[in-house]
Amino acid sequence: MHTLSLVWEDLWKITVASLILGAGLPALFAVGIRSLAYGTGGDAEEHGAGIAPAPHPIGRALAGLCFAIVLLVVGLGIVLIVASGFGQELSFDSIYPTIQDK
Amino acid sequence: MILVLVVVVALAFDFTNGFHDTANAMATSIATGALTPKVAVALAGALNLVGAFLSVEVALTVTNAVVKIQDSDGAPKPDLLSGGGSDLLIIVLAGLIGGIAWNLLTWLLGLPSSSSHALFGGLIGATLAGLGTSGVNWNGDGSKVDGVIGKVILPALASPVIAGLVAAVGTWLIYRITAGVAQRFTETGFRWGQIGSASLVSLAHGTNDAQKTMGVITLALIASGHWTDTENIPFWVKACCALAIASGTYLGGWRIIRTLGKGLVEIASPQGMAAEGASGAVILISSHLGFALSTTHVATGSILGSGIGKPGATVRWRVAVRMVAAWVITLPAAGLVGALTWYVADLLGGGLLGAVVITALLTAAAVAMWRHSRKEPVHPGNVNDEWEAPAAHQTTAA
Repeated sequence: MHTLSLVWEDLWKITVASLILGAGLPALFAVGIRSLAYGTGGDAEEHGAGIAPAPHPIGRALAGLCFAIVLLVVGLGIVLIVASGFGQELSFDSIYPTIQDK
Repeated sequence: MILVLVVVVALAFDFTNGFHDTANAMATSIATGALTPKVAVALAGALNLVGAFLSVEVALTVTNAVVKIQDSDGAPKPDLLSGGGSDLLIIVLAGLIGGIAWNLLTWLLGLPSSSSHALFGGLIGATLAGLGTSGVNWNGDGSKVDGVIGKVILPALASPVIAGLVAAVGTWLIYRITAGVAQRFTETGFRWGQIGSASLVSLAHGTNDAQKTMGVITLALIASGHWTDTENIPFWVKACCALAIASGTYLGGWRIIRTLGKGLVEIASPQGMAAEGASGAVILISSHLGFALSTTHVATGSILGSGIGKPGATVRWRVAVRMVAAWVITLPAAGLVGALTWYVADLLGGGLLGAVVITALLTAAAVAMWRHSRKEPVHPGNVNDEWEAPAAHQTTAA
């Protein structure tokens, strides 16, 4: 039964990390879509007949920010995987990520 | 000579691995129309090729998880090496044949099942037949996660549940957040998200799955004395495996794509993005933690989860139950084929003759199944047809 507890230790880590990245990033993307619709106005949002919502530039800016964060995190993820394949690792010691030997 | 057969059959396995798993990454994008079928398989094939080359981590000890034919540093067990390593080569060959036979059969039935389970099942069966129960690594030595139970069975039980949970939460959040946005606007937006997340899954598949075959081929090369370095894999092996898995992916297992994309859940692009996002995250995170999960189990769990998370969506549980049934029997069924082919080879002297005969048997079975598939072809043109509608297509999944 020792195996069960060992597997469990790994599994809950995977679950928590996957929830943050696997559900969180799509949710952030959804926030981006929502903001973009708010920013675009008109028929992008559901509205009553004849009263099309006005476009809001702030919505577009927020959408851009959301999409940028999603792309950045995915990009970092790919770099992390590739780097560990080549015996390197990603370090956040200097705030912005750098690649160094393991 | 037996070595040549092992290499060819291993590459054939890699090829079936590719077309069996195209669906994991691309089924949802094809079903929602985010990508046309042809573009989807081309993208998946290219990313698998890239992924396979990126996986430089040494996968030489891949068989150690389930059987004891190698030492912990990757060298084959010395007592299996008498006579040019033919004992070990026959076990590996029979194991690969078991894996391919099961992959082809499940493809014919349109069922997604784990290629790594098929490979491990075949190897376990051949080892049981060749070396007895002591040749199988059931549970490791208890100090770390290892063996058939720790590395194959428990992860298989857990991974669909985790992926399903993540996808359900993701889908629920997405629909909550985008409530009030016009449907046409969300569809277009999420298609881009879907393409991105599906590409990530393809890349992850290339890095994960191609290296299993690389490890098996290198093991065979070492056993027959053609390679001695246990730290590296010959470049031509890497290139051949990458090409085999990529061309298999490009061919596309349309039957399985149809089941995953249309059979389980009627999928919309926000669900597709949630499902692929969950799959990509679970696969990459778990393999980064050194805990390899089956891409197939994860992807299927995610798609189910995206059906559960969307308010009012229907999940075809009968299709899901059939898939789970296929997963449960993957290990024993591939094992049975692996064991039987080992006995056939052993009966014929356990040498070249045996190896040729079992490879010929596999080829005959493969041709028979391919011909059977021609009767009810599933191809890019009809892969998205309605699941329930015309009886002619319903039988493709039966």
